[in-house]
Amino acid sequence: MSAIYGLYSDPNVAQVAVNNLRAAGVPDADITVISSEPFEHFEFGHRDARTAMPWIATAAGAAGMVATYYLLGLSQHAWPLVTSGMPVAPLWTNLIIIFEMTMLSAIAATVITLIVTAFIGERGTLYDPEVSDGYILVGVEKTGDAGKLESALKIDGGRVKSI
Amino acid sequence: MNRTLTKPFTDDMVRPVMSTTVWFWAIVLATGTVVASGAAAWGYQLWYGIGLSGKRWPGFWALYLTNFVFWIGISHAGTLISAILRLVNAGWRRPVTRVAEVITVFALMIGAMFPIIHLGRPWLAFWLFPYPSAREIWPNFRSPLAWDFFAINTYLTGSVLFLLLPMIPDFALVRDRSTGWRRKFYGALSFGWRGTTRQWNRLESAMQIMAIAILPVAVSVHTIVSFDFSMANVPMWHSTIFGPYFVAGAIFSGIAALILAMAALRKALHLEKYLLPLHFENLGKLLLLMSILWGYFVFNERLTVWYGNEHHEMAVFWATQRGQYAPLYWTMVICNFIIPIALLSNPYTRNIIGCVVASFGVVIGMWLERFLIIVPSLAHKALPYSWGTYTPTPVELMIMAATFAAMILLYALFAKFVPIIAIWEMKAGDFAHAPRQGLAAADPHRIDAAAPASPEAAS
Amino acid sequence: MPFRWGMAIDLNACTGCEACVTACHAENNIPTVSAEQASRGRAMHWIRVERYYEGNFPDVRVKFRPVLCQQCDNAPCEAVCPTYAAHHNEDGLNAQVYNRCIGTRYCANACPYNVRFFNFFNAEWPKPLHLQLNPDVSVREVGVMEKCTFCVQRIKAAKTAARAEHRALVDGALQPACAQACPTSAIVFGDLNDPDSRVARLARSPRGTRLLEDLGAEPKITYLQKQPWHEPDAY
Repeated sequence: MSAIYGLYSDPNVAQVAVNNLRAAGVPDADITVISSEPFEHFEFGHRDARTAMPWIATAAGAAGMVATYYLLGLSQHAWPLVTSGMPVAPLWTNLIIIFEMTMLSAIAATVITLIVTAFIGERGTLYDPEVSDGYILVGVEKTGDAGKLESALKIDGGRVKSI
Repeated sequence: MNRTLTKPFTDDMVRPVMSTTVWFWAIVLATGTVVASGAAAWGYQLWYGIGLSGKRWPGFWALYLTNFVFWIGISHAGTLISAILRLVNAGWRRPVTRVAEVITVFALMIGAMFPIIHLGRPWLAFWLFPYPSAREIWPNFRSPLAWDFFAINTYLTGSVLFLLLPMIPDFALVRDRSTGWRRKFYGALSFGWRGTTRQWNRLESAMQIMAIAILPVAVSVHTIVSFDFSMANVPMWHSTIFGPYFVAGAIFSGIAALILAMAALRKALHLEKYLLPLHFENLGKLLLLMSILWGYFVFNERLTVWYGNEHHEMAVFWATQRGQYAPLYWTMVICNFIIPIALLSNPYTRNIIGCVVASFGVVIGMWLERFLIIVPSLAHKALPYSWGTYTPTPVELMIMAATFAAMILLYALFAKFVPIIAIWEMKAGDFAHAPRQGLAAADPHRIDAAAPASPEAAS
Repeated sequence: MPFRWGMAIDLNACTGCEACVTACHAENNIPTVSAEQASRGRAMHWIRVERYYEGNFPDVRVKFRPVLCQQCDNAPCEAVCPTYAAHHNEDGLNAQVYNRCIGTRYCANACPYNVRFFNFFNAEWPKPLHLQLNPDVSVREVGVMEKCTFCVQRIKAAKTAARAEHRALVDGALQPACAQACPTSAIVFGDLNDPDSRVARLARSPRGTRLLEDLGAEPKITYLQKQPWHEPDAY
């Protein structure tokens, strides 16, 4: 037996299961909760919510801004061609492109962070297709004291399975 | 959504993906034929030259650029509206967002093709890419067309990701419910999504950041499209109002396209339970607001020209107001202003049919608006000796028809392969109004009590 | 800037004979199009003679105005080109590099004078007309913009010859095709940087005006306005 989990149709019951597992001494990091929707109004939906994503996006945006500023300036001065009596690298027009590249960098960094932290960084394998019918899966992959875990997960409105 | 309803709802959403009706094949065949004819027309034009279009000295921009601005405008339906609704957390957005975002992505792809179709030497369009080349020359970053390149690429990249990311959980759902090739196909598309709290939280954070980033980008895209005109010293183009005027017009035509798409999907995929009269009513109010805003901008633009009485501009002004282009101009005013206000300010006609009729008018009217911005101005530039005119040719009209068919075709294909309503977002809407504390404060009875089919209806 | 090429056109002298148009076509390999294409607005004339009529019949007076690229100092066509096909060269000329042009046609919209032309199709030179093509001027392919160059090939040749002979360019020795062909010498070409050149003197004339000067493009062509016949010559 490598993993034990319960399936609950009611998020309130799932919350009880999560609380029971904690009471049974399972560290928060070992508790897996899988659902077919985000439960942002329940405590278990907020586990592991801390992320540096906004800061990464901001930093990438700033980096994109500086890089584009230099890319435009250097390429314009590499072969200075005069048009319409304008300066070779007018900030007015370059600002437009700098803005777009800032935003593109921020968006790209956000998506890369998402891929790295939510997809590549996901090591667990615990899953049950019944999740897509609306069940919430609460389980533990590293089973120590199986009996204790099973009694923690076995509550009204839930089914316990193990693999 | 009631918990007990989750399964029937999911079934309703997944059914169009699993089964194919004869109507689907009919639409694909009909629109596919038009698209193929349009591609042939473009090939014909590529072979012989842009002379097959009706463009002539001095009006070197005409139908292709009209369609470019029109489609980029339509693209402001989705990502912009869905980002605003997401940021203000409007509950009724949930069934609408994906329908809208798909319009954005496809309309942008179609719109971005037009400047290439329009080029004299489209095979050299890649010279707009900023890359170090053997030619040792970079694009001219002072040109509004270079700005267009960056703006449209940023918006397209952002919009595709904005549409794609929330689709991953739904792909996982289809994967779980299917067998055979579909299971493999959607399994690959879902990138191993399981739905752990960590994944949900990251996805929500990413969507929030993207919504914030994409809003100014969307505004900038149509402002930059307007710069294509307002940067040139051409009568009635060289105007500071063009940026906000174009953005408002874009959102206006975008909402109209969204209402049309929603009405079509509602009938075709039997989504009457999810795309409710309420959604049409809310979007109808938004359309009414944009119609008034559009009228305000047009009045501003026209009044300043008329009062300023500068003779180069007055030539264009009278050509549209009373002259050759007056029939088109007044059709535009009726379609964009009179019909929407008449239908949508009255609560009895602000129903689904009223919204669809008004939207149809707005799409036609906004197309005419772009035509009337481009063609009369170029035909009446400063030197009267070189005034001109313009008539479209069959090649141009065929290519234009093909893009409308392409939109329908792409939409039909998308609705075939992807659940057109974001399933998980609809489910999440269930708890949108529960207290944040979760278990302790949430009323357990609320969840199992018989609720209306969609709680958004009440919000 | 060693040179600043400019032109003065005396509207008193212009008879509207269009010899300049013909000469320009011959010199610059400008394709002629069929009557059908011409009626569809595809005719290309780097220089054209605009006709304006004043007064009511029978008391009508005709004014001719040859219009060609004004070689503006602040040319509106240049900045809008995304590929630097239109740019300012070191002689202050408004240069058009055909090979860089991708055919956005934005320059033609931005030009207030409508002196830019587009190759809607590949040009055809029915035999034996292909034998009269000027070898010093490139033939443009479909999809590129073209316009008056002030006969840049002649400017280049004259500068090269002068450098080889270690002498300065003589005012009046270098002429574009239109000026050379003008039977009334209405068109005068030269260096505006040389205050004593004929063109610089004409540019200072009280009759001198610039086309659509209020748009601020700073054209380098001076039009000497036509005077009623009974008024004494102003210069």
